[in-house]
Amino acid sequence: MSIIQAIDLTKRFEDLVAVDHLNLSIDSGEIFGLLGPNGAGKTTTVLMLSTVIKPTSGTAVVGGHDVRKSPTDVRKLIGICFQEPKILWVSNPWDVLNWHAKVCGLSTQERKRRVKQVLEDVNMWDYRRKKVHGLSGGMKKRVEVAKVLIQRPKIAFIDEPTAQIDVVGKHKIWNMIRELRDEGSTIILATNELYEADRLSDRVGIMHKGKMLVCDTPKTLKDSIPGGDIIEIELEKEAGQSVLKELNDFEEVADLVSLKPNKLKVHLNRVEEIVPQIIEVFLRNGVPMRSIRMSEPSLDDVFVHYTGLTIEEAEQKSPSR
Amino acid sequence: MRAVLRLIEYDLKNFFRYKWWLAGLISMNLADLLIMAVVYSHMVSPEITEQIRSYFSFFAPGVTVVGLFASAFMIGREVNMEVRRQIHHYMLSLPITRFELAFGRLLAGGLRGMVYMSPLLLTTFIFVGFPTFPQLLTILGALFLLATGISGLSIATAVSTTSFEKFVTARGLVYYILFFCSSIFYPLSLIQTLGQEGIMPQPIVILAELNPLSSGADLIRSFLMGTPAFELNMIRNLVVFSLIFVTTATYAYMKIVERR
Repeated sequence: MSIIQAIDLTKRFEDLVAVDHLNLSIDSGEIFGLLGPNGAGKTTTVLMLSTVIKPTSGTAVVGGHDVRKSPTDVRKLIGICFQEPKILWVSNPWDVLNWHAKVCGLSTQERKRRVKQVLEDVNMWDYRRKKVHGLSGGMKKRVEVAKVLIQRPKIAFIDEPTAQIDVVGKHKIWNMIRELRDEGSTIILATNELYEADRLSDRVGIMHKGKMLVCDTPKTLKDSIPGGDIIEIELEKEAGQSVLKELNDFEEVADLVSLKPNKLKVHLNRVEEIVPQIIEVFLRNGVPMRSIRMSEPSLDDVFVHYTGLTIEEAEQKSPSR
Repeated sequence: MRAVLRLIEYDLKNFFRYKWWLAGLISMNLADLLIMAVVYSHMVSPEITEQIRSYFSFFAPGVTVVGLFASAFMIGREVNMEVRRQIHHYMLSLPITRFELAFGRLLAGGLRGMVYMSPLLLTTFIFVGFPTFPQLLTILGALFLLATGISGLSIATAVSTTSFEKFVTARGLVYYILFFCSSIFYPLSLIQTLGQEGIMPQPIVILAELNPLSSGADLIRSFLMGTPAFELNMIRNLVVFSLIFVTTATYAYMKIVERR
């Protein structure tokens, strides 16, 4: 069931179209990854869906409420972890989170319990009384993420949750985001980290220049690249032409290259389904295999496929607001 | 209502985070009173002193209003900084209406002015004289109107200026116009006399007469010193000023901030 629906959602900043007629449907209880380079329009989309800024045209329905007509009702359902921590620098993490929890309507007892729990979970308990201006970028980001984790909203917008956070912290935060989803929240995860989007998202929407290029499960997106999977096969002896022809006849095989007489590189789709059949061809023709190495396409390959650019190249070319 | 109270809590807490700075500012205001006003008492001509009892007594309510103005105006500096650092996006994402948000910030700014002004007002009472209870309520009500108006003026300035430099310039302009074209430092009657004699330009005289800071300071003087005489115009000026800037700031905060 769809909990968020964007209909021709558009945001224009003077000459720049930050989000261009975005149509999107997000199901209840899923982690939806909004993936794209900086400047793709992810954050602007999040800000419009969360009623922070008004769309130039089009609209969105969030949790059954139109962002234009009933923004206050939308805000009662949502929580946001912003890309840049939004914290007044003279406060400390405890006060920031305690006040946030109060505004979100948590009872005194529940508020104190959750604030303590989440500060411990994000490893910020020891720094709870330290002034925000004295915290590192990663610590500020942890406090920002903690706001959503305390609030546990029905719909959580999380913008680059692990930027500036170390590897151990990243895994911890990913687990907490999954727990939030498992408790029934819908998560919209805006990120430019391909690995993060791939690991966390049930579905991914790839944005570029304000437009949604493609939207599906990470697996389907990867499978959609013709010849996206690669296997390298090393043989005990050279494979004959008849063997190569037989391999080429598989409709999943997009390309076959002989790196050496006994070494082949095969570009193909649905690798997990076709590899047993390839092995069978070699065995049947009496060509023993020495090794086989498989590599899956990444979401970066998907991005390259749809834009002709790597995500880094797209970031360099993106217009700044 | 609960949301408005939360916002007031937020702004008051932030206000007290600057406690040493505030203590420094209050000390400066008291130094203005206890050094400058005492010295000026001996410099002012006896003719004028007859009208105002002593410059010290005259200036004490003025310093109170100056303190109120400066502290209530501080909310604008924070709102401007929030907008520049996009912290306002966080405020706009909270489960409260835009009106509650704007009105809460505005009231908080006014209350901050009242809190800061309290020790100055108390000092004035101690040195100049205590009002009756109804007079005290009138003074506090009038000063609260003035404080919310100033808070509104400050927020409207803050959200209409795109950079800190522009905000500080606008703030400086407002300070100079409202401080010096008022009866804070000099009696309104003197400004009017100078106007009649052609020494003071008429626009400055009119501005001093309509200036809410003049009304606030003179209202306190009228109750504590009996001069100038209390006039309903003083209250009217404060109500009009407060209404104009509360409305302007609420609208500006709701509309302009959302576009940034």
